[in-house]
Amino acid sequence: MSTAKHKGKGPQSLTANELRGGASVWLDANMEWSRDFGDAFKTEDENHIEKMRAKGDADANENLVVGVYFIDIEPDSGLPVRYREKFRVKGPSYDTAEELGLNAKKAK
Amino acid sequence: MYRYDEFDHEVVQSRVKQFRGQVERRLSGAITEEQFRPLRLQNGLYLQLHAYMMRVAVPYGTLSSKQMRQLGMIADKYDRGYGHVTTRQNFQFNWPELTHVPDLLQDLADVEMHGFQTSGNCIRNVTSDPYAGATAEEIEDPRPTAELLRQWSTLHPEFAFLPRKFKIAVVASKTDRAVIRAHDIGIEVTANEKGEVGYHIIVGGGLGRTPIIGQTLRAFLPREELLPYLEATLRVYNRYGRRDNKYKARIKILVTETGIDAFREMVEAEYEALEPLDIAVSAQEVERISSYFAPPDFENLPEHCDAFQAKLISEKDFADWAGNNLAEHKVPGYSIVNVSLKPTDLAPGDITADQMRAVADMAEAYSFGEIRTTHQQNIVLPHVKKSDLYSLFEKLKEAKLHAGNIGLITDIICCPGMDFCALATARSIPVSQAIAQRFSDPARQRAIGEMQIKISGCINACGHHHVGHIGILGLEKAGVEFYQVKLGGDSSENAAVGKVTGPGFSQEELVDAIERLVDYYIDVRAEDERFIDSFKRLGMAPFKEALYAA
Repeated sequence: MSTAKHKGKGPQSLTANELRGGASVWLDANMEWSRDFGDAFKTEDENHIEKMRAKGDADANENLVVGVYFIDIEPDSGLPVRYREKFRVKGPSYDTAEELGLNAKKAK
Repeated sequence: MYRYDEFDHEVVQSRVKQFRGQVERRLSGAITEEQFRPLRLQNGLYLQLHAYMMRVAVPYGTLSSKQMRQLGMIADKYDRGYGHVTTRQNFQFNWPELTHVPDLLQDLADVEMHGFQTSGNCIRNVTSDPYAGATAEEIEDPRPTAELLRQWSTLHPEFAFLPRKFKIAVVASKTDRAVIRAHDIGIEVTANEKGEVGYHIIVGGGLGRTPIIGQTLRAFLPREELLPYLEATLRVYNRYGRRDNKYKARIKILVTETGIDAFREMVEAEYEALEPLDIAVSAQEVERISSYFAPPDFENLPEHCDAFQAKLISEKDFADWAGNNLAEHKVPGYSIVNVSLKPTDLAPGDITADQMRAVADMAEAYSFGEIRTTHQQNIVLPHVKKSDLYSLFEKLKEAKLHAGNIGLITDIICCPGMDFCALATARSIPVSQAIAQRFSDPARQRAIGEMQIKISGCINACGHHHVGHIGILGLEKAGVEFYQVKLGGDSSENAAVGKVTGPGFSQEELVDAIERLVDYYIDVRAEDERFIDSFKRLGMAPFKEALYAA
């Protein structure tokens, strides 16, 4: 079951992690999950927010995503309000695989 | 080295099969996330900030070359080609997918490894001295005791749901290389006045949001009483430890609130009531376990090695590395080799799959196939002939594992912080790198001498900042990271919790402040005086003044 409850103020986005892979995802305007926060649907419209909540619950029940929750969005920047969520959007500022090109090596 | 018996094999293999079924049921929806979460955690699988994270147990920090090679294979097959050594001597992989974890666990089980006791409110993986079996300082090898505790605590039904996690460390030297006084129970193998070997039991230490140095529960516990006495201690904790508030649930809070004398009385009363010798281990069983840790076939060598001495004179890089990274071995002609995982440009404790394979090769060629991980997030090759040290150094250089900074200012303990951890409040890796780069000149590091900087990205203190000579805690306020500094902590046998200096610093300010602090220390230290000793001699005030002098 989703624990998503919209309690925030201002624009909201819905986020979760993929159950199978674990990657962070955000719900886009087509009600699909995207790994790119740039695609995230941001809205203050309560009708849209209710649809997002229903989609989050449904996909958690369908075992597609885990840990569904709403995040507050800064109206001006379009970025998450909380520092932790900003970080989740950007990904690690340091990763040894990136630093040493290990992903590229693995792909060859 | 310890080899799993049939019982161990069956437990590990059946757990893989069990978890494969649990994952299948989770993916099909037969069980919910709420039901699945404790099951995955009991196998070391966390869901972190960006991905799943798999924590692999390395009991008492001992690995074979075969196991290290398998970890390298796992890093390539299921992760991004690297792994991370933790402050509990374990391994972590930051990017596995849930669907691959059953196969990952099978690959671990194939080399007698698993993720048991790396999460949850159970007795966690027992840690020990990375120099075990190699240092002349020890009364005996502490690993048979640690192995006994592993067998006792693995899947112990009574202690699977304690009020909170429970950490035990064992050493057998006066020199504490396992931070036993910051553990729920710390055990020092010791001898009484009759020369009998037994245990000094320390209880109620811990870091986290309430750092406390452990106190003596029993100054000398006869060897055969170890398991019954620990069973009694755990029972008292299990009964009276708080379950209403997770932040007050560790045994250190119970011991502090009860008082050590009253707590001891409770343990002794419980111990008296135990069925006599119910779970005491016979001398024969101790002997059987100890036989698995029999010393390797050391050669009969002179202590002095001409070839080694000649290279020390002719090869400056080698001499500098050897001056810091070698420790005295109990057998003449051998050395303990510390392999630093702290290059100044990478995250502390990270090791690539290629490096894991290289370490495995080196262990086979030079150290009887034995490898240790350390709570300082480094690696040890415990038994290397002095005549092989230069060849080994050349191999370490090829693998980029030749940093000669063990115990120096760039040998920083650092948790993954906000870059990976769901609990973190600030990043720690970039801070560690900035400090390491500021002090990257090896000659300057050696001139500063022994210095322990420890960095945690949140109050849970996985980076041991409370016991760093310089401890750094990352926090966040209104979207801005800042770093609080503690001074005077000590993780050794003289364990002490550092004191907060004052207001926090931005990352940029912090590196300058630490440089001012170090410069002040260089100015005022007596000859050969370590930073921590200067601090103890002069007190907080002048160091604080230097830190905030800008």
